[in-house]
Amino acid sequence: MASTVDEPSMVLIARHDLKMSAGKLAVQCSHAAVSCTMNARKTHARLVERWRNAGARKICLRADDLATLQRLAGQAQVAGLVTHLVKDAGHTEIPPGTVTVLGIGPAPRRAIDALVSELKPY
Amino acid sequence: MGFRSFLHRITAPSLDGIRPQGPCKMVCIVNHGLKMGKGKIAAQVGHGAVMAAMKAGGEKPMYLEQWLATGQKKVCLKGDDAEHLLAIEKQAKAAGISTTLVHDAGHTQIPSGSLTVLALGPDSETLLEQITGELKLL
Repeated sequence: MASTVDEPSMVLIARHDLKMSAGKLAVQCSHAAVSCTMNARKTHARLVERWRNAGARKICLRADDLATLQRLAGQAQVAGLVTHLVKDAGHTEIPPGTVTVLGIGPAPRRAIDALVSELKPY
Repeated sequence: MGFRSFLHRITAPSLDGIRPQGPCKMVCIVNHGLKMGKGKIAAQVGHGAVMAAMKAGGEKPMYLEQWLATGQKKVCLKGDDAEHLLAIEKQAKAAGISTTLVHDAGHTQIPSGSLTVLALGPDSETLLEQITGELKLL
């Protein structure tokens, strides 16, 4: 489907090494999704609207460790994409300040695919 | 800041509406009957959280502001099936909590149109506690 290639997308990249429960993972990913959306609304308002109208595509991928997450965050920032690293408050399961999820987007799907093509779905 | 956003800032009406009493949270209740994978659940809860936050921006801006400023607390709970989620939605609506239902587009794992997540709030913790108190953590 050629028409979907440029539709905006969002990826939520979670650390697989932390072995978070399903609920914890879901909450951390939604932190990233909300923060990215709120930030992007200020800088990329039209893109956010387009993304939401097209179904607000979100995909959850897994990264092996913190270093991968930080490398991807750097690359995404260089590419001019909206990013947000979630630091957990540490109320449950893991120590405070642990980086759990990287959110990238909403951004054109091609730009995101170029960064995360080697990652597996969570 | 651009000229237009500057103009907007100085002319925008101040936030009004009811101020929240005590701390706020958002509750996402997942349809556990669907047996979705972890990543699928995370993406669906993400949908619910973003939609609920956007909705609150229009309906209860003071709640949204406080929730965002205090670390956007979220809790993820287990619901038995679609009927269970709809029953909770009804109760929440009656209590004046804003509700958001997420239906999946069905690209992966589950049939199109399935009800996957019910998001409640952001609203005051005590009010949400009354409705979701007996549900289990996911």
